[in-house]
Amino acid sequence: MIKNKKYVMVYAIDRCVDCKACMVACKAQWQVPENHFRTHIDEKYSPGKYAPNRKYFLPSQCNHCDEAPCVSVCPTKASHKREDGIVYVDRDICIGCKYCIVSCPYDARFFNEEVGVAEKCTFCLPWIQQGHQPACATTCLSNTRIFGDINDPNSEVSKFLAEAKRNKSKIWKLREDLGTEPNIYYVQS
Amino acid sequence: MVFQESFEWYIALYLFLGGVGAGAILSAAFADLYDREKYVNYIKSASLIGMPAVAIGCFFLLIDLGQGLTKPWLLIYLFANPTSAITWGTAILTLFIIVSLLYAAYNFNFIKFGGGKITLLSLIVLAIGTAGYTGVLLGVLRAIPFWHQTLIPVLFIISAISTGISATVVVKEILFSKKKENIAPIETGHFYLMVLEFMMVIAMIIIALNGVPEMVFSIKVLLSGKYAVQFWLIFMILGLLLPTLLYGLQEIKKLHMKGSFLIIIELLVLLGGYYLRYLILHAGVFTEKFAHYIG
Repeated sequence: MIKNKKYVMVYAIDRCVDCKACMVACKAQWQVPENHFRTHIDEKYSPGKYAPNRKYFLPSQCNHCDEAPCVSVCPTKASHKREDGIVYVDRDICIGCKYCIVSCPYDARFFNEEVGVAEKCTFCLPWIQQGHQPACATTCLSNTRIFGDINDPNSEVSKFLAEAKRNKSKIWKLREDLGTEPNIYYVQS
Repeated sequence: MVFQESFEWYIALYLFLGGVGAGAILSAAFADLYDREKYVNYIKSASLIGMPAVAIGCFFLLIDLGQGLTKPWLLIYLFANPTSAITWGTAILTLFIIVSLLYAAYNFNFIKFGGGKITLLSLIVLAIGTAGYTGVLLGVLRAIPFWHQTLIPVLFIISAISTGISATVVVKEILFSKKKENIAPIETGHFYLMVLEFMMVIAMIIIALNGVPEMVFSIKVLLSGKYAVQFWLIFMILGLLLPTLLYGLQEIKKLHMKGSFLIIIELLVLLGGYYLRYLILHAGVFTEKFAHYIG
């Protein structure tokens, strides 16, 4: 049986230099409204056990959760989970109630005032169907962002994650305690 | 910490007016069950404010919706998802508006048959549902820890009944001031509701101060942060403590409030009810996604 595609993204966070090219590429690709971005980079300090605190650049975007709160709270079912794993907002039936925006523990959504709908990362949906990589991954100069189908063992993400496991790198996802089953992997060697 | 900025004063007003309408009808339905003749003017006043308050609240929701006005046919999709609290709320509010409209028509003799106790009992269920929904809407969200408390729906129901009684008394004082009607049992009930609300707010403060860091942050924003003046002056003192004190004095017969003084005090309760929701909405911060990291 052929498994469905399941798109995920990996951030190799040691490589991120906070150049913000991903944020700009995404914004240019999808005409994201002026005050908003679909992806962000946070600066955080990891408390060092033996050494001084270390600074990390942590990208974030929609986690395309398997148990997405935004999907279960959407009254119109405009927010839905596609078979390829992407959580997508159907703009034709989104009524703009903003409930999904406050339901997202990752603060990945925002309200598009120009169109009157909730908006977020789509993994560049129409673009990847033509065989391209998402804009953020294409433009990432340090190759922090790796995108692909985790159900395909030969894809770049599957290989990268397998390699990271072999190297005993730290692999985690954001706030798994909330039960959202996110699909963005953070890898720190 | 990141404040939520999606639910603004439109939504606060929607939650508030939903509570006022539900509380007014709930108190009237109980008064009706107990002794319709004795409280007839109170019941009439409540049915004048009940359904319109909820309907105006829904109007504020409607103008807050991104595509509610430009594509009104999408409104039917609000019933589409049984797992969404908004779908539950849309169903409850629709039924509430219909039944309370019938109830008002019966109270003002536009229709002869009011459905008797079945209408009253369904109004009680729908009113508690409407008031509770305004809290459940926030309570089900894991993403905002300060809202994710069982206390929120209960507090909103208590505040809804309290503001509903206040709104009804205001209408009654304006329209039926000539007709003397003793509503002392309702006033006593209102006093105890206010005391209960005060205790619940104290409980909310204590629990939030001992909660996860996001909850601590939210409550400190109210107690000593950028909303401290609104919280202490408008909500706590003017909206809650002053009216409770005056109702208390009335209970021990040291004071008798009437006329414009009474109206002003009831309006203060309403102001407090609005600010309770406004402040809880604005104190909401998203749960920390990079919990492993500081900075």
